Amino acid sequence: MATILIVDDSASMRQMVEFTLKEAGHQVMVAEDGVMALNLAKGATSDLVITDVNMPNMDGITLIRELRALPAYKFTPILTLTTESTTDKKMEGKDAGATGWIVKPFNPEKLLATVNKVLG
Amino acid sequence: MAAVLRPSRQLNHLRWPEFTHMNSYWDPVQNVEVVRILAGEYYATHRHEMITTVLGSCISVCIRDRIANIGGMNHFMLPMEREGRENSGAHGLSADAAYGSYAMERLVNCILKYGGCRREQLEIKIFGGGRIMNGMADIGLQNIAFIRAYLRTEGLTLAAEDVGGDCPRRMAYFPATGKVLVKRLRNIRNETIVQQETAYLANLRREATQGGEVELFGDFTHGRR
Repeated sequence: MATILIVDDSASMRQMVEFTLKEAGHQVMVAEDGVMALNLAKGATSDLVITDVNMPNMDGITLIRELRALPAYKFTPILTLTTESTTDKKMEGKDAGATGWIVKPFNPEKLLATVNKVLG
Repeated sequence: MAAVLRPSRQLNHLRWPEFTHMNSYWDPVQNVEVVRILAGEYYATHRHEMITTVLGSCISVCIRDRIANIGGMNHFMLPMEREGRENSGAHGLSADAAYGSYAMERLVNCILKYGGCRREQLEIKIFGGGRIMNGMADIGLQNIAFIRAYLRTEGLTLAAEDVGGDCPRRMAYFPATGKVLVKRLRNIRNETIVQQETAYLANLRREATQGGEVELFGDFTHGRR
């Protein structure tokens, strides 16, 4: 089972994703924005990051760039879970170093299938 | 005085990219550009406009940043998956909560993206959730319960509401001022609204069941890209 960092400024989304991952047996760390996530990441490693894109203080794209600059997160899978679905935004995420792009509405089965795939 | 109808498409370039496809018309009485939204849609603006819709059991949430003068409104209902399934999905979560959060997040994110302040400082007003379908579960009541629980969880403060009852509502929202006009439609037949909401619900269930699309940027056949 993996340790997964969830980043979302919406409390209800954090709760739903956390519940889904814990039910599947994963350990979870949660952060409300990119700044909090980056601080958590500097203090502890995780096997996977799932981040929202539109967040205050530090958005998800910036967070991905910052995480990729950390040696411990250079090859860690990073998924976005977002309402953004435009090709431009996806390409921005890909260029920043995202591993995959999941568009909301959130679907637990789909999320777990994707998590299992990227964790191998 | 004769009303002057202005071709609203001329103003589309002033809209945010998410909304350039939406039609509008000029209301000479209110002296304002009007955007009408349907079930499943949302609209937000930084301009002096009026957003209108007609609600049966659906909910509309009006959200405004009082400092940045940005506001918008959505129009949605929950997929009500529990009628045909267990109370929760395969992983203990209902599609209702996931879809409702998604409908809210689209509007909140849009307002924050274009200059809104922190989400805790937003002015929130909720409308709709009427019981207009006889002989069925009170869908309106469940929509109301969701939005109240959602606002509590998110720490958002409710400024005003007009929900429940047994009438459809026609409403108009002025995001620049926060003013809302609501008319309870006591004298019109509900069938049209019921038909529209039933069709919306069928589409919604498909969308909610499938979830959003997933794209992986690499080959994960062997686990690593």
